[in-house]
Amino acid sequence: MDSNFPSEKLEEICDDECQNKTRIFCQRCPSLVLSPKQAKLVKKEFFLPNMFQKNDHTPIEGVTLNDFWLVTNMMTFDNVGFSKAVDNIMYLICADCEMGPIGWHSIDDKKAYYIAVARVKHG
Amino acid sequence: MEEQEILTTLKILIIGESGVGKSSLLLRFTDDTFDPEQAATIGVDFKVKTLTVDGNRTKLAIWDTAGQERFRTLTPSYYRGAQGVILVYDVSSKQSFNKLDAWLNELETFSTKQDMVKMLVGNKIDRSNHEVSKEEGLKFARKHHMLFIEASAKTNDGVQCAFEELVEKIIQTPGLWETSGKTIRPGQGGADVSQGQSCYCVI
Repeated sequence: MDSNFPSEKLEEICDDECQNKTRIFCQRCPSLVLSPKQAKLVKKEFFLPNMFQKNDHTPIEGVTLNDFWLVTNMMTFDNVGFSKAVDNIMYLICADCEMGPIGWHSIDDKKAYYIAVARVKHG
Repeated sequence: MEEQEILTTLKILIIGESGVGKSSLLLRFTDDTFDPEQAATIGVDFKVKTLTVDGNRTKLAIWDTAGQERFRTLTPSYYRGAQGVILVYDVSSKQSFNKLDAWLNELETFSTKQDMVKMLVGNKIDRSNHEVSKEEGLKFARKHHMLFIEASAKTNDGVQCAFEELVEKIIQTPGLWETSGKTIRPGQGGADVSQGQSCYCVI
């Protein structure tokens, strides 16, 4: 399910203040990415490469996503991995199984870390 | 599940020669489905990990050199503020062991914390062609006041243990870290004290 999130589903995962109601996990392994009420839901268009792609397959395939959890301090994450920067973008991955990208961070903005709502598990 | 307060935030470095398996140590820090195909072609820069040791929940920022060591371009900022370091060699490579002194020198030069906790990890013990014996590793570690463990990132032997021992030692070192919240003393973090874990590290 690598599409954008249906809006009625968004209500289930975010509270009145647009913060995450639930814990946020990796989709593939039990790794906890964020604890409740640590991130804010924002609308932002961003192209993320697909999580599954055959190796050596160019060009990079991906999808433009709109719904992201915004975290302002990297130490807010319970567990997360950062890729090396590519064109000033670091991709966020699961810290344990390295599944990703589950989000992104621009090195030009030290106070913004984005986790794609569609690429994590809520619960 | 109730969220326990974070005791402290620690900066941990992983250093050593290229090819000794630093990145896979970082990957195999926790047990999971290891999928070599998944290994990011971009490479991992660093990770934020939450680890509970002796009931104390700590947050770690773990920095891998991400291959920069090949070009000897590790910057002072890489070392700045680090409370712990994991120095890795490959037990099947004498050359990687012989370079440990140079790494310690670099650490001495750039580290900003006097009593930084150091751990020596002999990696790749799953290999058959050992060029460095456990005794040699142990002797080096003793000489330089380091914790020591042999590990295999491939089989995950000793990896979790290495991080836990390192963090435990840091927490036991007064003045090396700061509490991020209220006053919590080491070993009194709560009911979640993990017991019966078989970790053997030698100082």
